[in-house]
Amino acid sequence: MDAAKKPVTRRNEAIGIALWAAGFAIPAFASSSWVAIAAMFAIFAITALSEDVILGRGGMFDMGHAVYFGIGAYTTAILNTELGVPIFLTVPAAVLLAAGTGTLLAAPLIRLRGDYLLVATIGFNAIFVLAMQNNPGGITGGSDGITGIEAPSLFGIPLFSQSAMFWLDWVVLGLVLFLMRNLDRCEFGRALRYLKQDELAATTLGVDARAVKTLAFAVGAGLAGLAGTLFAVQLSTVSPSSFVFTESVTLFAIVIVGGPGSIPGVLLGTALMFVVPEIFRDFAQYRYFVFGIAMIAVMVLRPQGLWPRRRNGL
Amino acid sequence: MSGLLELRGLGISFGGLRAVDDLNMSVEEGQIVALIGPNGAGKTTVFNMITGVYKPTDGQVLWQGRDITGASPHRVAALGIRRTFQKIRLFPQMSVFENVRAGCHLQARQHWWQGLVGTRAQRREEAALAERTHAVLRRLGLHKVADERAVSLSYGVQRRVELARTLVAEPKLVILDEPAAGQNEAESAELNDTIFAIRDSGVTVLLVEHDMNVVMNVTDHIVVINFGRKIAEGSAEAVRTDPAVVEAYLGRDDEAEDAA
Repeated sequence: MDAAKKPVTRRNEAIGIALWAAGFAIPAFASSSWVAIAAMFAIFAITALSEDVILGRGGMFDMGHAVYFGIGAYTTAILNTELGVPIFLTVPAAVLLAAGTGTLLAAPLIRLRGDYLLVATIGFNAIFVLAMQNNPGGITGGSDGITGIEAPSLFGIPLFSQSAMFWLDWVVLGLVLFLMRNLDRCEFGRALRYLKQDELAATTLGVDARAVKTLAFAVGAGLAGLAGTLFAVQLSTVSPSSFVFTESVTLFAIVIVGGPGSIPGVLLGTALMFVVPEIFRDFAQYRYFVFGIAMIAVMVLRPQGLWPRRRNGL
Repeated sequence: MSGLLELRGLGISFGGLRAVDDLNMSVEEGQIVALIGPNGAGKTTVFNMITGVYKPTDGQVLWQGRDITGASPHRVAALGIRRTFQKIRLFPQMSVFENVRAGCHLQARQHWWQGLVGTRAQRREEAALAERTHAVLRRLGLHKVADERAVSLSYGVQRRVELARTLVAEPKLVILDEPAAGQNEAESAELNDTIFAIRDSGVTVLLVEHDMNVVMNVTDHIVVINFGRKIAEGSAEAVRTDPAVVEAYLGRDDEAEDAA
């Protein structure tokens, strides 16, 4: 049977949509700091899902995903503060520039085996951060970054409030979730899984490995660029420290710990990384310590992730 | 005369080892052709050169008269050439249905963005390809195990899943690498019927096989190689009695154990 039509798939989808819809009510009862946390959750969930396209679905060890996130954030910041471009109009540029960078970086890299790819993407991340710190052309603001990014405005009404920004992030998260769900059911998404599971068999069935992997980088990077725009708006400032190598490690770990290729898994991983530490505020500085232990425990006890992809989840 | 597939002076070296040397053979449309030879004779290497997995160091692969030497595997697949593997290569995390559906990859005309957006045309195509997959599963008697994880099934069934994965693409030529390996007698007899059925549906078959029950009963033409070189070819009868073949298989003195 076509798994997409299975009742259990339908039911899970209905639950997911209901939870997402209920999420819009968060500002109604949560304090503004919690609304900000929820907004950050949405932004990082999008970024982690975009990493999942490359790492989870494609099985390519992208350890420099913060680069694409950063390119989106910087694109919006520069266009908005230097040229006065309205936030929403910076989105296409942020997405396309990130996707273009992903495509360019992927070209020489996708032939590399997992471990080599990992090292090469770390290298790109280091270069990106150095470049931003060195303020090329005087437009990235060096180590201090760029401040004074405007709030987005919709039909002339600026979305100043934290609630409005949260709703915006939540809508975009919904959109990305919709795309990810479709990715599971389309030929592109399947081709990625074929390549991940047996590249030789896949190519003899007609899968163009180079084209499909490059596309995965482009799509994953483009979605990260979109999240970057939201991030720049949320903080109204960007600086190189937000896009360093350890951020890439965090995104990588979220996917691996949550469950590669699993939408609920990646969301759970994001929540563990960005929401749970806020609940235990006093211990917030132990976030990496706790997550590090969780990573080790998951890899030893549950290597397929906390909420693994269902096997027949076509 | 040029066949559907023609190999001209095909050769490949791995370092100092000459795995296949100056191989000439032709596969005519509608035939069932077997490539046989003792273990290590280079049969699978020939398949790998035809399907683009290895690039030949010498000679040419001609497909319908066109030179396709060294084309990458996905391009070879697009020509209508599909293969199975000696060591079965099914997607381990996928069901039988998903594995066979994978064979339809090139039949899917959707663009990636149509898939991500989930357009009506894309969903219609998905439904059509799912139906096509089910039809092949029924044809090969796999519909009852469609939702099972493919690699959890018996060896014989896994071979049939791999075969279904090639047939769902409606290829012009299927290349079967030891389709009878690991099958019991009943399954191997059934395989003969399956191979005839494939041929009768208009698909040309090239196979490597050790099971002489299969080789002698189904093939129109047999090519025998040993140490990477062709030593005989012809009908099953002619090859069976060829002294060079008998020697290669039964060997002289100590080579006998290689004959299996």
